[in-house]
Amino acid sequence: MTLESTKNIHKGIIKNVEKIAFNTYAIEFFSNLNRVFPGQFISIYCPNTVLRRPFSVMDFDENKNTLKIIFKLKGEGTDYLRNLKEGNNIDFLAPLGNGFNIKKQKALLVGAGVGIAPILFLRKVLNERNIENYFISGFKTEQEVIKGADKTFVGGSVLDEIENIIKENNIEIIYSCAPMIVLRKLSEIANRLSIPVQIALEKVMACSIGVCRGCIIKISKDNDIVNASVCKDGPVFLGSEVVWD
Amino acid sequence: MGLEKLKTVLKNEKTGHTLELKTPIIGASGTYGYNSEFEDFIDLNCLGAISTKGITLEKRPGNSGERLFEVKGGLINRIGLENVGIDAFIEEKLPVLTEKKIDFLLNIAGSTIEDYEKLAQIANENNIKAIEVNVSCPNVKQGCLEFGLNPNALFELTRKIRMNYDGFLVVKLSPNTQDIRALATAAEQGGADCISAINTLRGLGVKVDFVGDKFIKKTVQGGLSGSCIKPVALYMVNQIKQSVKIPVIAMGGIASLNDLFEFMAVGADAFQIGTSNFIDPKICFNLAVKLKDFMDKNNFKDFNELKGAIFE
Repeated sequence: MTLESTKNIHKGIIKNVEKIAFNTYAIEFFSNLNRVFPGQFISIYCPNTVLRRPFSVMDFDENKNTLKIIFKLKGEGTDYLRNLKEGNNIDFLAPLGNGFNIKKQKALLVGAGVGIAPILFLRKVLNERNIENYFISGFKTEQEVIKGADKTFVGGSVLDEIENIIKENNIEIIYSCAPMIVLRKLSEIANRLSIPVQIALEKVMACSIGVCRGCIIKISKDNDIVNASVCKDGPVFLGSEVVWD
Repeated sequence: MGLEKLKTVLKNEKTGHTLELKTPIIGASGTYGYNSEFEDFIDLNCLGAISTKGITLEKRPGNSGERLFEVKGGLINRIGLENVGIDAFIEEKLPVLTEKKIDFLLNIAGSTIEDYEKLAQIANENNIKAIEVNVSCPNVKQGCLEFGLNPNALFELTRKIRMNYDGFLVVKLSPNTQDIRALATAAEQGGADCISAINTLRGLGVKVDFVGDKFIKKTVQGGLSGSCIKPVALYMVNQIKQSVKIPVIAMGGIASLNDLFEFMAVGADAFQIGTSNFIDPKICFNLAVKLKDFMDKNNFKDFNELKGAIFE
């Protein structure tokens, strides 16, 4: 899952900050970044926090030079971001991590909560490449729903009808970003049905470039269990390789 | 890059051992990787040096569970010395450092005196110019910090390492002590060429959420770093400087040019930058440029002159 890219500190200029759902915001900004892939992330400097804050890219428009991210209001970092105004500058590291390894196979896309962000971006790219896909999303409440999926589950689990959906749509591969517990369950289902699944993970990060070893998960590799950093080796992993706690 | 006037030489006057640095700014252990990890961001030849990730005899997987906890002005980590081990370092990481001409201190950690002795021997055999002895990691169960808190044990450990190593020997001290002066003296008497200080402070991050009708608690115990520890670091460096004659590499919350001046005021001979690398991966280079610009503007001919002017 290696995609070449040049990491650097970039400057962004805010185009728009918009509330898109309960406690949920989208920021669109201009930058000189020339390439970013679905599943990759950026890390934004927030003057009121010690560490940068990582966000999956929700959309990238190479013609307009704009990037879009979404976030849920969580603390001081996201509060800073929410209050940015058109024309303000931001400082971000990008592009970071390895994105989804896109296959020419009929895809099921699964996004839950703000984890829908990289899936929205992936959906756009799959459509551009004429790769058939079906997109489901899940949210806790109606107020939190972020639009864009073919089918949205509210209240229950995004996985409630997953096996039927896989069978009815002849799904050959699954891509997902969601809370850990959903990704774990999804990986178990996919493994049982022998369908490859690529999952984008989220973890608290310090350096976001693979140096500090702060965001480690366990993966199985060559019959061994080894550490992998979510920021550099991921954030996208195969569901079959992740060793769940 | 025109940073020539930042050149500095750390020298143990007693033994004559020296370490030449292109600039007095060093990337701190655990925040700079093994070799060229930051080359996307800066020209590593413009750095004073990097201090490598702490290396042990055997590879270590580090701690499981949450490893990071952000607090106001700082970061608590409990990485637990995850590293590839000395053999893999020599085989895979050292050639890159050599090929790319990156100046470095090999940071070593062990559980027993024998571990440190072997690591020192390996460093010697491989002509590694400088080692930084970690006797102060608060995140591992055995060894390390035990040597770092007892002056007699530290003297003995430093002496044994000295017997096995001919290069520039830096001992990195822990702030988790009642008497930093005794430890600095013990390291100097044991044969250290230089002290670096401070390592992280012991800290506990606690988060309490009230969800539904229940409290959900999360705690992370580890080493605290970042700007919140700077006053402690300044105090410790000041104490160390008053008790030893060997040079002192200062660290603890450095993020700005003014921070460098503050540490020079208490006697720092060089600096390490740690947590700030995570916020600004170019900071080691940017601070060097700022330091040079200040010196140009105010007619300081070299770093020694500047250092002397602030410390005197």
